[in-house]
Amino acid sequence: MESVQIPWLTAITLLPLLAALPIPIIPDKEGKTVRWYALYVALADLALMVYGFWENYSVKSHQFQLAETYSWMPQLGLSWSLGVDGLSMPLIFLSGLITTLAILASWKVNHKPRLYYFLVLVLYSAQIGVFAAQDILLFFLMWEIELVPVYLLISIWGGKKRLYAATKFILYTALASIFILVSGLALAFYGDNFTFNIAELGMKDYPLALELLAYVGFLIAFGVKLPIFPLHTWLPDAHSQASAPISMILAGVLLKMGGYALIRFNIETLPHAHIKFAPLLVALGVINIIYGAFTAFGQTNLKRRLASSSISHMGFVLIGIASFTDLGMNGAVLQMISHGLIAAALFFLSGTAYDRTHTLMMDEMGGMAQKMPKTFALFTAGSMASLALPGMSGFVGELSIFLGIATSDVYSQTFKVGIIFLTSVGLILTPIYLLSMLREVFYGEANTKLKLEGFGIDAQPREIFITACLLIPIIGIGLYPKVATNTYDVKTIQVAEKMRSVFPVIVEKQENNLNASLLSTWQSPGLIAPKIK
Amino acid sequence: MELLYQYAWLIPVLPLLGATFLGIGLISLNKATNSLRKTLSFFIVFIAGTAMVLSFGIFWSQIHGHETYTRTIEWASAGDFHLQMGYIIDNLTSLMLVVVTTVAFLVMIYTDGYMAHDPGYVRFYAYLSIFSSSMLGLVISPNLVQIYIFWELVGMCSYLLVGFWYERKAAAEACQKAFVTNRVGDFGLLLGMLGLYWATGSFDFGIIGERLQELTASGALSAGLATLFAILVFLGPVAKSAQVPLHVWLPDAMEGPTPISALIHAATMVAAGVFLIARMYPILESVPIAMTIIACTGAVTAFTGATIALTQNDIKKGLAYSTMSQLGYMVMAMGLGSYSAGLFHLMTHAYFKAMLFLCSGSVIHGMEAVVGHNPVLAQDMRLMGGLRKYMPVTAYTFLIGNLAICGIFPFSGFWSKDEILGQAFQANPVLWFVGWLTAGLTAFYMFRMYFMTFEGEFRGNDTEIRQQLLTASGVAFGPGAMDSKEAETHGHSDSPHESPLNMALPLVLLAIPSFAVGLVGMPWSNYFEEFIHAPGAIISEEPFELNEFLIMAGLSIAIAVTGIIVATLMYRLKKIDPNALAKKYPTLYQLSLNKWYFDDIYDKFFVVGSRRLARQIMEVDYRVVDGAVNLTGLATLLSGEGLKYLETGRAQFYALIVFAAVLGFVLVFSVT
Repeated sequence: MESVQIPWLTAITLLPLLAALPIPIIPDKEGKTVRWYALYVALADLALMVYGFWENYSVKSHQFQLAETYSWMPQLGLSWSLGVDGLSMPLIFLSGLITTLAILASWKVNHKPRLYYFLVLVLYSAQIGVFAAQDILLFFLMWEIELVPVYLLISIWGGKKRLYAATKFILYTALASIFILVSGLALAFYGDNFTFNIAELGMKDYPLALELLAYVGFLIAFGVKLPIFPLHTWLPDAHSQASAPISMILAGVLLKMGGYALIRFNIETLPHAHIKFAPLLVALGVINIIYGAFTAFGQTNLKRRLASSSISHMGFVLIGIASFTDLGMNGAVLQMISHGLIAAALFFLSGTAYDRTHTLMMDEMGGMAQKMPKTFALFTAGSMASLALPGMSGFVGELSIFLGIATSDVYSQTFKVGIIFLTSVGLILTPIYLLSMLREVFYGEANTKLKLEGFGIDAQPREIFITACLLIPIIGIGLYPKVATNTYDVKTIQVAEKMRSVFPVIVEKQENNLNASLLSTWQSPGLIAPKIK
Repeated sequence: MELLYQYAWLIPVLPLLGATFLGIGLISLNKATNSLRKTLSFFIVFIAGTAMVLSFGIFWSQIHGHETYTRTIEWASAGDFHLQMGYIIDNLTSLMLVVVTTVAFLVMIYTDGYMAHDPGYVRFYAYLSIFSSSMLGLVISPNLVQIYIFWELVGMCSYLLVGFWYERKAAAEACQKAFVTNRVGDFGLLLGMLGLYWATGSFDFGIIGERLQELTASGALSAGLATLFAILVFLGPVAKSAQVPLHVWLPDAMEGPTPISALIHAATMVAAGVFLIARMYPILESVPIAMTIIACTGAVTAFTGATIALTQNDIKKGLAYSTMSQLGYMVMAMGLGSYSAGLFHLMTHAYFKAMLFLCSGSVIHGMEAVVGHNPVLAQDMRLMGGLRKYMPVTAYTFLIGNLAICGIFPFSGFWSKDEILGQAFQANPVLWFVGWLTAGLTAFYMFRMYFMTFEGEFRGNDTEIRQQLLTASGVAFGPGAMDSKEAETHGHSDSPHESPLNMALPLVLLAIPSFAVGLVGMPWSNYFEEFIHAPGAIISEEPFELNEFLIMAGLSIAIAVTGIIVATLMYRLKKIDPNALAKKYPTLYQLSLNKWYFDDIYDKFFVVGSRRLARQIMEVDYRVVDGAVNLTGLATLLSGEGLKYLETGRAQFYALIVFAAVLGFVLVFSVT
């Protein structure tokens, strides 16, 4: 059995990259063949994923599955080592879906189409590589590879200030990713057995000081990506300057790399340091939510507003992963998936609006619902999903995180009450900026100065199809969350278990949840982490 | 019978499927869908009818003593956490199902006439159907989370429907206001829900109630926390049922088409708050302070709503404040522990107020023939008058609703309001007095409305009043805002007309329960209380005291009649000049006219305040945070660019404040 096993993950990861290589020599006029080619490649990869995971992936196990290891550069210790578990499998699938839709959304790109699709396909491979890598050096390599196409995609096909935005993006993320390398190397070289394997790194015992230092390094690197306040300022620029399909990938997938890596490295590999830092993560999460919401409300540019809303929504992920509960972890992963779908939908729709208005300034729009009722309906649906309307995926993620932090037994009551209160203030702020956005763009009398042109006026079948592909899973997860959570909850439970097991006192299950007060001996007094005896 | 219970989930699911079908049609085959308008609306009405028949079946079996039926499936889980969703059918649910489906069904028939010429006809039916679905889902919810889910969904439907005419600026603002105000309530509800879950580990009403009592009794949970949770939960109903101070959205929500005002903002959704209090009764009951707060909030709302309604000239706004006032009665009743009386009033109010709103819609429909499709003109009572001659069905049904809301014997409102007041008198004479006084105000403003609309001479062709109204609204919305509307101010007829059969029929059908439904709750044979009573409460067989009843009923009718007489003197016989009265008491008049200045205060503090704060935070983000991380902040500070900001001083100052605030939060939480 072992001998004939198909290397699914290698195939999934490398297919887009290899398929991208012949793009320069494909006979093509006006970029029409290339876009079909890219779409077929993306679909083939998506199909490969569905089939590969369907046949070989078991949702009942929290182990790495479909694992493959080949020695690549033994002199460096680098190996091509891939595997998926509950954390990475849904995110790989998300990348596949979003990137495929982004290619379909790029249908009208006619400026250097060969290069464009080449870069998108390289980006496709790199994203999957990041999520599937089981070797920290490989992970770093994939992380870096993904930056290059994004930089080029923003700086060539972006908006007016694209160079500034792209440079800022590359500077922030590239500088920050040095910390991954440094922390990773430190962990790899520590102790007797030298290894880059992530699972093995997690089993080593590190001295606390090293854990803390490595944790800070990872936190900075992934904090830029997620993003975490105050490392977020590249995001509104990059997301608003990138063209809509690239914004879809940026918001839909790349931000999730930050959340994924935080769980993978900061929590799984460095659980002792995580105990110390968890209260800080919670506090940063709350700042993200409220600060992001306010900056979003202050923006007058449609895409900048959506970009700031991403900052706000990713704050929930931070709170979830620092709650030390099954529910919180579960919610954090769900929030990542859900935000990936919702943000992609909203960015795509803002792109369809931009294609017609040629402006993103909301005060120059207004009354567009009369000309574009379908776009209006879809935009409303997306906004409702984003403001966590029940029946849509955002609600389930946020509710789980709320319940997680509310039932968490590691924080003092006052801390929890404060956090929950402030987080819920975010719930009031979200509809304010999203509904104002709808009001300014779509409601009211038609703005006579606004010229809508191109594409036919209202949303075309292709555009409706793309949005529907995103809205259907959003609503599906909202109606019955188990379709999503079942694919990963064994893993999140195991992660939560591992986080909690590091606490010196093992939490005794009691009948009611008031046991929080019984454990006060090691409760976290606010930002000072729980004492370890 | 069992089959009926097994398939009870179809009641909310059928309208949802109908709405989905229409929605997909509108998005993908817009032209075809819009051309099939009559077929599709018949389809939606048919579905609503089916849901109504099923509801009646369930109601019938509940009356005959069928036990409570619950069915759930596991909806979400993580580790040890399991969350169930499903439905519960007990007496309360079956009653609400009947109320919601009957009103929804009749409103849908009415809509066919009212919206006949609207290009958004099919979309409107889709929204109506999805609203019915959410509301029905709400009333069958077996636990707090599911209630919260549907609670938000009805809020979304309200948002979509208030903003239905999206080209109107006022509608755009109103729908956002409705949603955000309701989110403030939901914020409380969510916090309360989390608190209760943290304390009791359950979302089930009964279990939370039991455990909460145990915990407070044993001292594991302080009474203060229990009260806090109860009050937080109550914030939900405060927003949804338009209680002071979160009532501001309801009058503005009248920007939506009138059928919606009848269905959502009078009969069903706004009553959801009262329903939630009823469901939460096992929990609230054990927290006396919360009950007192609920009762007082209700009384204040009843009074405030009535005083504002006194001076409204827009027929729908007047009815909206009246709704707010009546909801206050219900909430007060719940707070005083008169569970059955509160729900009884919910039911009678649902019928007569839905009818009153539909009547107002019929009036507006008739007026539009004369003054055109400008709500500023078509809804203003100063342009109406004498409509009884032109639209007799509307006038007489309105009069029936009027007598019912005023509490005149033997109309339905008499029995329910009298029961509330009677129990209030025993529980808290002060609240009784407020309620009693409000009853007088109610009678006054309702008959003022009736006289201004249906009696006297028709004033619709008076161009002078028209011009005045247009100028006034023009000033209110800013100069030039009315330009495009002015073209429409000319109707196609000189006199209003009675509405078509499909609008008149629902009015007549609603007049029946408005008159008669109160008879099930007569104090000497109270079938209603037998059917709907607080969980766990034992109905004491108190002997019916005729004297006591006569005194209480006499007092209520006396004040109502006084109100009617004053209204007659002022608006029918013109013996007293309302303008002179207004001049005599300018402060009171202005207070009422300006809605107690709630909107102005909120606008100043919350709307403008949050906008300014957002701008400042964004500026800080742009200049300071970004600058600091980029290290360019330093450079700008050193260069002349930075000096510019220093000189203006504002940016720096705001930055300082925001950072101090952030730092403050961090410090507070690290110390505690």
